[in-house]
Amino acid sequence: METQWPRWEVFKQDAPKRPHQAIGTVHATDPEHALLVARNVFVRRPSAVSLWVAPADRVLTVTQEELQGGRREEASAAKDAQRFQVFCKTSHKQSLAFADHQGEVRARSPWEALARAQETFAVATPLAWMIVPEDAIVRTRDEDAPSWFDPARTKTYKQQSAYGTVSAAPRAKARPGGV
Amino acid sequence: MSVTIAGVETDPAYEAKLAAFEARIAAGERIEPGDWMPEAYRKQLIRMISQHAHSEVVGMLPEGEWIGRAPSLRRKLILIAKVQDEAGHGQYLYHAAETLGATREEMTEALLTGRAKYSSVFNYPTLTWADVGMIGWLVDGAAIKNQTMLARCSYGPYSRAMVRICTEETFHHKQGKEMVIRYAQGTPKQRQMAQDALDRWWWPSLMMLGPHDSDSPNTPQLVKWGIKTKTNDEVRQEFIAEHAPELQEAGLVIPDPELRQNPDGTWHHGPIDWDEFWRVVRGDGICNKARLEAKNRAHDEGRWVREALQAYSERGRAQAA
Repeated sequence: METQWPRWEVFKQDAPKRPHQAIGTVHATDPEHALLVARNVFVRRPSAVSLWVAPADRVLTVTQEELQGGRREEASAAKDAQRFQVFCKTSHKQSLAFADHQGEVRARSPWEALARAQETFAVATPLAWMIVPEDAIVRTRDEDAPSWFDPARTKTYKQQSAYGTVSAAPRAKARPGGV
Repeated sequence: MSVTIAGVETDPAYEAKLAAFEARIAAGERIEPGDWMPEAYRKQLIRMISQHAHSEVVGMLPEGEWIGRAPSLRRKLILIAKVQDEAGHGQYLYHAAETLGATREEMTEALLTGRAKYSSVFNYPTLTWADVGMIGWLVDGAAIKNQTMLARCSYGPYSRAMVRICTEETFHHKQGKEMVIRYAQGTPKQRQMAQDALDRWWWPSLMMLGPHDSDSPNTPQLVKWGIKTKTNDEVRQEFIAEHAPELQEAGLVIPDPELRQNPDGTWHHGPIDWDEFWRVVRGDGICNKARLEAKNRAHDEGRWVREALQAYSERGRAQAA
């Protein structure tokens, strides 16, 4: 049995005004492959305008319970401040996504970025944080978005809404065509 | 009830941690990767989620056989999309199991060697095109009832996978129902095909929701920890309550002479043949062997693709270095 490929965290943006959200992981050989797999796994319906991927082992994820329990890690700090994208889980409600993009901070290590994030973003109940180094992220390109995401729009037969209410009651107008 | 597992009782804080964990679940909080959890909770979830993932993946096979024989282009497109969805659902679930420490490699190997269990309903053959519709209506219908319950699971990654799956599964259910109703209202031959498919799929669909509560000793613990939020029999009741009247309205006869609604609204059904259920679980179903062979063949025949992808990315890294 061959060794499994690395895991990549996947972040999906559903619409232009919505934040990117952490939705899960895929296995892939490289960033470009990871984006393709993420598209096939998570975007079979018209529900994305952009995808980001980052190697799972470069993402710092910490839950509120771990923070309260005193989880801290010594991280070797870079000489200069780096950019980090910050995601936060803010609710226990049933959801499709784990954490929402809050914005960006500059720091010399992921743990320092986490501290910055806690100061910077006014989240009422931060249940878990994800800190992603900017240089670990690979994104779909805007110019590729139509070819990547638009074909799903015309495939209305994949939408449950296209079927309306299905019942055995007599139909006003049968759909033309065979079975 | 306290669970004792080797190693756990050596943690002096175990009882306090367990109490805090159970209080979180009682308060409706979700447990996330990294949070403390009892080892039994972790193990139970890995078992359930990986089985569930395998079921999605094996579930592609009975329907996939019909893609090339779909009666129209529209039905072919629908079936391709549905089978693709099952592949995706397997991926969501493998991810959820990985957050608990299971590896993709271990899970794949367990499936390919036949050690892993998956839903027995997929070890029955699809004999006619009407079976494809009936699977959508009944098998996916039973799955939705179960998955809607699991969407409330206390473990975050599993809950999220279920929410995502349910939204897509509704399309599977509706297209199947549409197809069966059309047959049930079609030519005598089509009606016969629909009835025949119902005769064969009704009982496996009921079995699919698992043994009776009286034979599910783990259920109280699973419910207490919010892994399940309803018992097998409760979910089976929900399934019958929705599907029995609709099948009857379509003019089909459910192959259970004892089936009737009780005065209190619940449904009484005849005895389920659990001997058959366990026989299929143990590996003696009609298609167990064929399913395992198909998965192994796909794995072996896909090897060159995996190797090519690996080589391509290694070359890219070498060129970049």
